[in-house]
Amino acid sequence: MSPRVFVTGYGIISAIGNGSEENFQSLVNRKMGYGSIEILETIHREDLPACEIKLTDAQLYAIAQVKNFSGYTRTALLGVIAAREAIHRAGLSQQQIRKAGILSASTTGGIRELEKYYFELQDNSLDGYFDVFSDTGNPGEHTERIAEVFGIKGYLSTISTACSSSANAIMQGAELIKNGIIETAICGGSESLSKFTLNGFNTLMILDKEQCRPFDKTRSGLNLGEGAAYLVLESEVSMNASDKKPLAEVVGYGNTNDAFHQTASSPDGGGAYLAMQQALKMGSVKPASISYINAHGTATENNDLSEGLAIQKLFANNVPAFSSTKPFTGHALAAAGGIEAVFCMLAINKQMIFPSINFNQQMEELNIAPVKDLLRDVDLRYVLSNSFGFGGNTSSLLFGSVENE
Amino acid sequence: MNKPVYYINGVGSISPQRTFNNDEFLPEISSYIENKLDCVLPEFKDYINPIQLRRLSRMLRAGLSAAIICLRDSNNQQPDGIITSTGDGFLRDTNKFLNEIFEFNEKQLTPTYFMQGTHNALAGLVALTLKCKGYNNTYVTSGLAFETSLHDAMMQLNADPDKTFLLGALDERDDAQYKIHLRTDNYKKEKINSRSLFDNPTRGTLQGEGTCFFSLSGQPGSNVWGLLKDVKVIHKPENANEIRSALHEVLTANDLRADQLDVLVNGVSGDVIHDQLLAEIVETELSFLPEVRFKHLCGEYCTASSFGLWLGLSILKKQVIPASVLFNGKKPKNPIKHVLLLNQYFGRNYSFILISSC
Repeated sequence: MSPRVFVTGYGIISAIGNGSEENFQSLVNRKMGYGSIEILETIHREDLPACEIKLTDAQLYAIAQVKNFSGYTRTALLGVIAAREAIHRAGLSQQQIRKAGILSASTTGGIRELEKYYFELQDNSLDGYFDVFSDTGNPGEHTERIAEVFGIKGYLSTISTACSSSANAIMQGAELIKNGIIETAICGGSESLSKFTLNGFNTLMILDKEQCRPFDKTRSGLNLGEGAAYLVLESEVSMNASDKKPLAEVVGYGNTNDAFHQTASSPDGGGAYLAMQQALKMGSVKPASISYINAHGTATENNDLSEGLAIQKLFANNVPAFSSTKPFTGHALAAAGGIEAVFCMLAINKQMIFPSINFNQQMEELNIAPVKDLLRDVDLRYVLSNSFGFGGNTSSLLFGSVENE
Repeated sequence: MNKPVYYINGVGSISPQRTFNNDEFLPEISSYIENKLDCVLPEFKDYINPIQLRRLSRMLRAGLSAAIICLRDSNNQQPDGIITSTGDGFLRDTNKFLNEIFEFNEKQLTPTYFMQGTHNALAGLVALTLKCKGYNNTYVTSGLAFETSLHDAMMQLNADPDKTFLLGALDERDDAQYKIHLRTDNYKKEKINSRSLFDNPTRGTLQGEGTCFFSLSGQPGSNVWGLLKDVKVIHKPENANEIRSALHEVLTANDLRADQLDVLVNGVSGDVIHDQLLAEIVETELSFLPEVRFKHLCGEYCTASSFGLWLGLSILKKQVIPASVLFNGKKPKNPIKHVLLLNQYFGRNYSFILISSC
């Protein structure tokens, strides 16, 4: 029997709020983060709306409680803010924090600052404060910054599997605990909007200028987002040593590859099906026991079809309630899995299912539809959270409620 | 419970030296005089079909070729999972895309640069090529990216020792990054011949690149190179004692004394500041060992320890230390059984990797 791993804290900052309480209120009140870009400097501020956090870097420095302009990238600042809430909620002691591991995911780290000073940094005749951003194109840099702010020494790792990254960071945190390498893992991811990603997704022609509409017949692409979110995971031993009550349990997870196309999902959702199936198998949970799926649901034509078919195949005539929360937060890439894991924690703890807003028209290829309106007083025993990405990366996390233990 | 055993059943390496042919061991040494080391590339068509080849960037070609070399070497063409690592990813495509953003003012950019610049592009490409639907992950932990990917593979094998994982490291050299790191003294200001990297210690190192693949399993294959015994990482140690304790932990955990080691593979980079802690550890703890260095051959990059592991495994398998890497002239014991690799990246990230013969 594999050792158990519990969730004891979570923290988040996204386009719909700073902190889990603000995020929860937005989810309940259907408040979306979508709008014109105001903080990132780009020519696409009006024509490519996104779910941007309307806080300047100076404001983020203050919230993160780190010295102003000391070389933190926006990605690192968002990470510090979310990790601080997670650590606080878990009530970790200084000793626990020091021995903990930090596993953070990011696709581009601080490329936003690298691109801002790209030419200055290559000009040897210039001297400037921008030197501190010389290595921020490296996605691992933000994790080192977060570790240093909190004095985390136990383990440090950065994962980049495109849009499934932070789901894999949560998996890796659980694995390190099960293997006895650490007792506590702070795991999730951070991502900030940048010219690089905005233009990158634009060249792939998968950005919708309107609000994204997951699992809707008229869907035509995703809205990008930014944010950071972390879970604190603790071992059974660590739980037993304190009188802390866990918030949920990491019951299972699956990581597979679609092996179909570099940037597209297979039409039948083969990888997605396998990832969900593996998560259920690891947790010895039957499909019929799943109460809710937080879908990847990016609202690209390709993803939602592929994911929808995979869900239908796995659950047959017994498809649980599912929704995509991407219209709220946008697609925060490497942070998406962390953000949605926090939403799953909120769902389990508040006994609610958050809606797939913007869903109106049934997809012809599917015989299932997402939850349109907030559901209250639902007993969520087991919840799946899907995260899929470029390169065929498909991951699924299975959380369990600990209410009845 | 018995300590798990991890077999390295195959390797494939493409580096600034001629390393792609596993029947040879550093047959000739390339020197570089511009402080930048580029890969010596094989004939890609020996490993990649022509249609696929045309679509791929230089480093994706190199990475996929190294993966295929490794698979052929291991006589196991179908791994259960693929784990890659890279610090900076595909720098050239990333920077080409950045340049286009500025040059064309965010309009009409080339999607290929964005797609092939993604850090997990190689893991996806290898999975796609092998139709491997199993486990797939990519680590980008800066100078510990390769080490954290090794930890992942070891944990995967703890869960199921019968599986085989294809593990690959890759980093690419690029001029824009060279100029940027020159500002912060990470690369040498003065131009030197790469072969004399360790002759006159000054600030900075050489910019390198490379890709190495390893086939790892809990079961021996038909062409075992060695056993992976331990991987230990330290981020920003406060002093040499922190590294010293880690060294002792590695030795104790593997029932070894320092004098039972046979070869030290030292990942010093020729940077007089960044090498300080490793120099102190080697001098006080390991100075009696035959010392091998490698960054004069491959340059510095986030996943350079993968080249160090390839070198250590080659020494184990071939039972010989080429003169081009032996630094202190000490003769190894016969047979060579235990090799310890020490590495540092830009004075921030430190690691130990212990390997042994079967």
